[in-house]
Amino acid sequence: MKTSKSKERSNKADEKQKNILEMLKSHGAKIYADLNDGQFPKFSIPSRSVSNIVYDKKLRQYILGNNTALRSSRNSSQLRSFTQLMWLAFFANRLTKEKKSSTLRDVYYSSQAFAIEFEDQSESDNIIVDLEAVTSKPREDFHIFPEERSSIFGDLTVEYTIPGYEGKTMNLSNHPDGYSIGPSLTTAELIDTSAEIVIAIEKGGLFTRFVEEQIDKKFKSIIINTGGQAPRSTRTLLKRLHDEMKLPVIVLTDGDVYGEHIAMVIKSGSANAAHLRELTVPDAKWVGVWATDIEKYKLPTIPMTESDIKRCYDLQKDPRYQDGIWKKELDVFLRLKRKAELEAFSKYGLTNITDKYLPQKLELAKSL
Amino acid sequence: MSSIKEKFNQISPSEFFYSNRDLAGFSNPTRSLYTAVREFVENALDACDQKGILPDVHLIIKAVDPEKSDPKPYILTVKDNGPGIDPSHIPLAFGTVLYGSKFGLKQARGMFGLGATMAILYGQITTNKPVIVKSSMDGKTQDEFELLLDIQNNKPVIVKHSTKEVSKRGLSVSICLEGDYSKAGNKIRDYVYETSLITPYASISFDDPKGEKFSHPRFVKDIPPPPTIIKPHPHGIDVERIRRMIVESQFEIPTIDDAMIEKVRKDLGLSMKSLSFTGIMDKAKKKWKTLPRQVRVVIALMSFLKMDFDKLMKIKIEDIDMANKKLFYWDFGDSQSKSIDMDPANPYFKQLTNTVQGEPLTTFLTKRFQRIGPTTALKFAEFAGFKPEKRMGTMTNQELVNLSDSLQKYEDFLAPDPSCLAPLGEEPLEKGIKKFFNPDFTAVVQRPASAYSGFPFIIEMGIAYGGDIKTGGPHVYRYANRIPLLYDEGSDVVLKVVNDTDWGRYKVKGDPPFIIVSHICSTRIPYKTAGKENVADRPEIERELRLGLQYLSRKLAAYMSKRGQADMAKKRANLYAKYIPLIAQFCTELADKKKEPNYKKLLEDESSFDSKKIVEEESEIEN
Repeated sequence: MKTSKSKERSNKADEKQKNILEMLKSHGAKIYADLNDGQFPKFSIPSRSVSNIVYDKKLRQYILGNNTALRSSRNSSQLRSFTQLMWLAFFANRLTKEKKSSTLRDVYYSSQAFAIEFEDQSESDNIIVDLEAVTSKPREDFHIFPEERSSIFGDLTVEYTIPGYEGKTMNLSNHPDGYSIGPSLTTAELIDTSAEIVIAIEKGGLFTRFVEEQIDKKFKSIIINTGGQAPRSTRTLLKRLHDEMKLPVIVLTDGDVYGEHIAMVIKSGSANAAHLRELTVPDAKWVGVWATDIEKYKLPTIPMTESDIKRCYDLQKDPRYQDGIWKKELDVFLRLKRKAELEAFSKYGLTNITDKYLPQKLELAKSL
Repeated sequence: MSSIKEKFNQISPSEFFYSNRDLAGFSNPTRSLYTAVREFVENALDACDQKGILPDVHLIIKAVDPEKSDPKPYILTVKDNGPGIDPSHIPLAFGTVLYGSKFGLKQARGMFGLGATMAILYGQITTNKPVIVKSSMDGKTQDEFELLLDIQNNKPVIVKHSTKEVSKRGLSVSICLEGDYSKAGNKIRDYVYETSLITPYASISFDDPKGEKFSHPRFVKDIPPPPTIIKPHPHGIDVERIRRMIVESQFEIPTIDDAMIEKVRKDLGLSMKSLSFTGIMDKAKKKWKTLPRQVRVVIALMSFLKMDFDKLMKIKIEDIDMANKKLFYWDFGDSQSKSIDMDPANPYFKQLTNTVQGEPLTTFLTKRFQRIGPTTALKFAEFAGFKPEKRMGTMTNQELVNLSDSLQKYEDFLAPDPSCLAPLGEEPLEKGIKKFFNPDFTAVVQRPASAYSGFPFIIEMGIAYGGDIKTGGPHVYRYANRIPLLYDEGSDVVLKVVNDTDWGRYKVKGDPPFIIVSHICSTRIPYKTAGKENVADRPEIERELRLGLQYLSRKLAAYMSKRGQADMAKKRANLYAKYIPLIAQFCTELADKKKEPNYKKLLEDESSFDSKKIVEEESEIEN
């Protein structure tokens, strides 16, 4: 029973890989045919200019509008980036075929083996986003992963699909420091869990505290450290935990405007990734630290900086901050002009946050 | 008292120039050597131009003592194949200041031939050596003079004069002067080089003191049409000039002496015959057309006096008062002054009036100025508030000033006649530029004639890019009346116009290899200084320069953008050659093919690619 299920999962991963490879091949074949016919190959890319990024209320995320840009190898000013993109597709094809993982920085250096120059990593990063936009697939699908800095802990059993570990399973509550969310976890199949909720927390220090205080057991939860703004692989994992394991997701951040926005990005994505649709958890809930909590829990605060305040005003223009707690808390931040970190609860004892604050917020989340 | 009186003694022109030699460009040994070269070379070219001879000019500078350090005496010799000078004129032409053959209104390099005399004077002052002039007008006999200037008296001193047989026509002038070739050399070489660019029909050679020879053979066989001498334009006139013209136009009442009476009798064919008064008048009427002016005046007087020749011999005309129509004379017989009334109805009245009071204004204007016909003269008289028949001889000083002012102000005169100008012409100019710079691009323009303050002028300009031209342009070659201008360029109107130009607008960027040649031709170049090195910014001249330069710049821009397109196409081809094979390589693996696509065709097609298509493709398509 278990083996057949495993086979099924393995087929599923294979299926995905096959789709990706098929898609890359069809792009390649089209360009091959153009060249063979004496035509300059070209393709269109959804425009990522600010004017083409719009908020879709139905999808509850930013998406790209209908504007597209033609990239032609005939145009001498686009020829270089055209070639870079071709190389990247070629490189992604190899990575996917060989099931090798790579990072943004890897890509930057790998290019040099093929006489493809990138001025700097930001140029190669940009081409990677182009590939995502053309294919509407996140780079992780092409085995290009961010540097790992977020981690996960809790009762979750996964089955690896990466070469050498195929079929191997692992429970993520065996190691108290947590497991970093890298290529193997991102591509692993999610098998089983006893958890009833996922708690995403902004900071490593609090993650460790939560593990120590056995929050996973006390509240039947999977704890994820986002390490600040959640990397895309982490957001993908959050989405999968929500969609595949049917777990609700709550987000706990510092009590400032950046924290509020970390929660928002998990919930509805970022404008930067408007070309992708598999990175959001629209049902995710931000439970704190709210601006109103600062007064309610009498937390020690520090004054907001100029850039904090500017960020508040910027977000006020964002369509996602026009109602609900998002608008309310933003307004309070602006009124207080002060902010509080998660660690601020330590004023009332190290376990105050896990003993008092968290249970109240979990209770509250049910009604949000 | 006597000492004060001495101070007011006249000084001779030679003395004046001696004490003001800076003005004429003889301020120091460097500048003096350069100026002397210029003056003699320009005189030689002018002499040939005037006679339509293709000039061969040979310039030699030799140090008297090569071992000495600069500044030191040099012998400067300029030989030409021009018409030569009548030996009887040579002492005066080279031994006095202000003797010249160039007075008259037409374009020439020098105005009065003054500069050469200044150079001779300078040479004499600094080395005390005579000028040696060799001239042959017929190509057979040559006169050789050694001359010194008597500065105080402005008179030539002939040291030596000889003649000999020769086989070539032309003039050779040789002076000894203090100079500094080590400093002036660059400018002199530039001068010779640049002169040969603007005088492509001349062969010019230069033997320098260091033994180097610079030769610039002619590369155009046709000499440009020579300018004609013309009457002045009313805008270019002043009171003094009008006064002189009036003097020229008026005829004095001839003195009626025995000789004059004899001449009248002879012209009337009455030498041997005595006729009565009426007989004489009848005879005069018949012969009138053949009579010279003076005789006509005598007859006119006789008609009022009603005298025959015998009576006429016994009187002397004292005054003719045309206003009151009275004639006063002294009668030797009665020893008293007498007067008679003149009848204006007498047909001779007009004859007398013309002589005594000069021409009527309208006649004066139409006869002595260009661009004034009878109609214009009448309109002008009305404008200036003069009666058209106003006699020039009756004008008061104030009226002359008014006339001069009005001539300047009246705007309906046609622009000055440019036939007195001798531009080089577009074709020889272009040929010269091509020969000198071997450029990738050349454009020339000759602007239509224009005028400032009554002096006509024509602007010729050329522009060239690339080839042998040095980078760091624009390099500006300035000419005025075929003379290269090498000094004081900073304050020159041409430089001003060039510097005002935003070359980026004409697609000229960076450190461009390009030159601009500008040639101003005029009967009078408005030099800022007597050294004749920079042209003042008269608005009319500036405007023409600007229009000329704009025209050329637009041509240059068109060339540059073509050149840019060619560069771009090349660059693009290189890019394709670099990247398309890579794209082929990557898509081959992506498409899972064994063989690379055949992209050679694409690269070949690209070379014959229409650039218009690219522009269309390069704009982002948004919808």
